[in-house]
Order: sequence, then structure tokens, then C-alpha cells
Amino acid sequence: MSNEQQLKAGERAFNMLLLLLSLGVLYEAYQIAGFDLPNSPGAFPMLLGVIMTASMVAILWGQRQHPKPGTQGVLDEARQFLHEHFPLAIIIFSAMAIAYLFLLEFLGFIPATAIFLFVSQVYLRHGRLLTSLIITAVATGVIYALFKLLFQVYLP
Amino acid sequence: MADSISYFLMAWLDPSLLMLTAIGTLAGIYVGAIPGLSVTMATSILISFTFSWDVNDALALIVGIYTGGVYGGSRTAILLNIPGAPSSVATSFDGYPLAQKGEAGQAIGLSTVMSVIGGLIGVAVLASVAPFLSDMALKFAPRDYFLIAALGLLLVGSLAAESLSRGIFAAAMGAVIGLVGLDQVTADPRFTMGSMQLMGGIHYVVVMIGMFGVAEALSQLHQINAKPVRQKVDKIIPSLHLVLKFLPLSIRTSVIGVIVGALPGTGGDIASLFAYDHAKRSVKNPSRPFGKGAYEGLVAPETANNAAVGGAYVPMLTLGMPGDAVTAIIIGALVIHGLDPGPMLMIQAPHIFWFTVGNLVLANIFLLIFGLTGIKVFAKVVELPKAILIPLILVLCVVGSYSLNSSMTEVYWMLGFGLLGYFMKIFRFQMGPVILGVILGPLMDKTYRQAMSSVGNDTGSFLLALVTNPLSLILTTAVVLLLLSNTPLKRLLQRRRQT
Repeated sequence: MSNEQQLKAGERAFNMLLLLLSLGVLYEAYQIAGFDLPNSPGAFPMLLGVIMTASMVAILWGQRQHPKPGTQGVLDEARQFLHEHFPLAIIIFSAMAIAYLFLLEFLGFIPATAIFLFVSQVYLRHGRLLTSLIITAVATGVIYALFKLLFQVYLP
Repeated sequence: MADSISYFLMAWLDPSLLMLTAIGTLAGIYVGAIPGLSVTMATSILISFTFSWDVNDALALIVGIYTGGVYGGSRTAILLNIPGAPSSVATSFDGYPLAQKGEAGQAIGLSTVMSVIGGLIGVAVLASVAPFLSDMALKFAPRDYFLIAALGLLLVGSLAAESLSRGIFAAAMGAVIGLVGLDQVTADPRFTMGSMQLMGGIHYVVVMIGMFGVAEALSQLHQINAKPVRQKVDKIIPSLHLVLKFLPLSIRTSVIGVIVGALPGTGGDIASLFAYDHAKRSVKNPSRPFGKGAYEGLVAPETANNAAVGGAYVPMLTLGMPGDAVTAIIIGALVIHGLDPGPMLMIQAPHIFWFTVGNLVLANIFLLIFGLTGIKVFAKVVELPKAILIPLILVLCVVGSYSLNSSMTEVYWMLGFGLLGYFMKIFRFQMGPVILGVILGPLMDKTYRQAMSSVGNDTGSFLLALVTNPLSLILTTAVVLLLLSNTPLKRLLQRRRQT
């Protein structure tokens, strides 16, 4: 299966976090009804907690002999992880997405969406102001007409 | 019988339903074809907008999108060697080599016709098997439902994920997410961590939009500057001789597709890989070697993945179990519209079943029409740069999650699940088991507790019932065998047999 697969930078840390999450689930499940009756509301959640924990232990156990990522030390591994999976485009786009959510609350749907679409396209398309502006205007208009007028859903 | 026929023809005779099915199919073809968009993503975003609609309107659109989307992925698999959907991965093995040989048009035409054949066989099986299965399902005990759901999660865990442990972990995590909120029987808070906002639970659509929409959009940012490859496309409509030549293979692989699709938790992606493998093993003299442009390698996955659509509806409509991620979403939609997917659906709302069957046939007809036309426009649309597409996907994800409760809380949850999904994708965890876990978790919890209550909370009696009742015994054996086949024990036995 994946016995020979090299671990990715940050993979062991992520799996350890998932193991912690599994233990947290187990603890929270126990808090529901303790070791009460087998049909108590906490029984099945506890089973899930056990399954999650056991699966993560099995994954970590299976990976103990996998080749480690070719990094030196925790800082180097973190640097490689960020370099591989969080290139600048993802970080900036994610920041724009969070800013968009804040803007939605302050400006409302149309201005916030127009700003987000325009800025993100200018960034991702390396300029091209005019076409980005046209696409933004058309896309915002179509989304508004489609969802507000046709589907009649509430927009942020 | 007369009622069934009138329900079957409902979407055919009502202009608005006809239109919605056509729009859904056309949109599905494009959604499935554009790399970065998936039918699951589209359905999960769309479903939130249709909650206020009439149930028939919502179902007509979703059926169209589902049918079109499963097929649409094959187009980019053939033209660009980029499967637009997971169910088209196997199509690219021989589809792209065909395009490189200048036979893209022929490959698209043949895949369209074969998809329709597979789709119609899938619907025929759905129409003939589901009513009987539904009658049988009325006799199922809660423990049987529990076992079927467990089997589904194990199947999707072992087939979709890289290893069973990863699949089981993802499914169990999904089930925990599905259980967040007040217990429906005792009103005990579960996994709410004292938060009032979590008392009402986490909407499954929020999880889906985050994991299939945002996570996918973030992944697509890695290939933001990828340039599309253009192929020459002509002679789309295949000759009757070619269709008839591959008909026996398409029937065989359709059967594989229906069966795999009907297994709870598995869908077109797994069905198409099984069918491709079957074609490789069974066709002695392919038109070209497999992997180098064999038409058989194109026909097999394309019929199987569309046949799996009909198959996936079987457990959904008869047992209330999702056949794959899309039917998991549809189950949620039916529940929100006040329906109860499962054996009682045929009794309480028989029109839904026959309406769906009629609608699936209609969607396949539209698939044939749209699949063989408009290829020039299509070629332009799939070249839409990701730099334009990705911000649009995010806006749609925001609108979709906000519209669930008109609350920004859902939007933040959606973004959180998107980030979690992105991390999980990086480290080779699949999203499919998580989504099925979200849907099946509450069902498993309910049926497990019902089964326990029925034996007076006696764990020994519960375990005994798993092996004394014939149906439970079959299901328990399947679960145990599936578990054992994924452990080192199997490898040990194989090694011993070899020595």
C-alpha cells in the first residue's frame, strides 16, 4: 500500500493533532453520559471516539518506518511545509477571502463582492485591470440577479 | 400502475420541470467538465438555494446536474487529460491518447452515447429493483440498518481512501460532526462544548460546501498558471457500427456500474475503475492496446459511471442510505422538504420515486442531445482561466452557506471546514468518507440505540442477534470480511498460500 511512501513535511505533526482531536472527542463523548446504559446518548459517540483514536494510532504506527521528509529540524520542516502547501498565492487569496467576509458585514453583498472579485482577479491574473473590471461587473450582476431575483435567497 | 405512469411522465409534461431538467443537465455537463468544479461541489452549493422551492423543481434540477456532471468530466479527461470529475479518471487512460491521435471528436461522441446507454440501464435497474427492495427493507431490523451503514462507511473508507485506517478515521470524524447538537431523544447536548450556537448542530451543507468548494478552490490555486491544451475536435456523432460493436461490453460494464453504485458509499469513481479493470481483463483483442487509445478503455468507464447514477439511487430511495456523496446531499434535501427517504418513501410519497425515475430518463435524453452538440462553445468554456473561476467559486460558497440560515456563522464554519479539508487533502485523507459520515452518523446512532433498546440494553443479546438473524449474519460477515481483508492477516495468509 503506502509503506514506502515518504512522509510529507508536517504530516506527522498533523497526524498528531488529529490524534489529539480524537482523544478530545473521546473525552467529550464520555462527558455526555459517562459509562451509562449501552443505549445512552453518549454510547455511540464514545464508540466513534475510540474508532478515531484507534485509526490514528494505526496510521501513526504504520508510518513509523516511512522515510522522513528531507528536512533538518522542526523549523526547516515548517518552512518546507509552508513553501509546498502555502505558496504566496494561497496565503494572499486566503487573506482576501477573510477580508471579504468582514467586508460583507460592513458594506453588504454587492460592494463587498465587487471589491473582492476585482482585487482577487487583478492579483491572480497579474494585472489586466480592464478585463477584470468587466468580468467583476458582469459576474456580480449575474450572481445578484440569479440568486436574489430568480432563486430568491437571502444574500449577506 | 396508471399512477406510476403519470408520476413518471410528470417531468416530461410540465414545461417548467422539463426546462429545469434540461438546464440542470446542460449545467451539469459544464460543471463536470470544468476542472476545479465538481458535481458534488455544485450540488452542495445549489442545494441550499432550493430549500424554499417545490420539491419536484429541486429534484428535477439536481437529477439533471448529477447526470450531466458525471458525464461532463469525461470531456476534459479526453481533451485535456484532466478528469473533470473523479468518475472520469479511468476515462483519461485511453481518452486522451485517442485525442492525441486526432480522434477526440469520435471519442467524445462514443463516450456520450455509451454514457446514455449506461445511464438508461442504471435507471431500468432502479425502476425494477427498488420497489422490491423497498418492500424487503420494511422487514429490516434497526441493527440491519446499522450494519448496512457501517458497511457503507467501511466500503467507501477502503475503496476511496489510501488506507482503511484513513477512510475509517475520516468517516468517524464525519459522524462526530453529524452528531453535534442536542440529542433528538434526550435533548442532551453532544459535542457542543457549551456553545449555544452549536446546540442546533452543524448543517451538513456547510461541511460539504467547505470541504468540496473551498478546499478544492485552494488546491486549484497551485495550478493557477496552467495553460489549457487545445485539441482538434470533429466527427462527433459515432457510427452505428461502432456503437453496436461495443454494445456487449457496455452492457457488462453497466451492470458493474449499477452494482457498485448501489453499494452504500461507493459511486461512479469506483465503478469506472472496476469497469476499466474488467475491460482490460475480458477484452482479448482491443482496438488498440489499453492505455494507448483503446476504444474499449473509453467505453467501459463511461458506461459504468453513468450506470452508477441509477445504482446510487437504489439504496437512497429504498433504505435512506446514500449511494455516493451526491445522493448523500439529495437525502438531506428530501428530509428538508419533509420527506423520509427509506422504505416508507414508496408508501408515503410514491410519486417521488416514479418522478425521479422519469426524470433520470429525461436527463439521459438531454444528455444525448447536449453531449453531441455545442462542442465548439464547450471547448471555449473549459478554457476559462482558474484565476477567474476560483474567486467566483468562493463567492458562490459564501452565498450558498449564508442562505442556509441567513447567518454569517455558517459562512465562517464553511471557511473553517474548507481549511480543514485543504489540510486533509494535503495529507491524503479523502473528503467522501467525511461527508458520508456526516449523513450516516445520526442514522447509525439512532439505529444502534433502537437495536440496543430492543434487546433490553443487553450487549450480549445484541451481539448474538448479529449472528443469529440470517440477514444480520450476512451483513456482519460482510463487515468482518471487509475489515479482515484490509488487515495484515490477509497478506500473511496470501504469503503462506504462495509458499
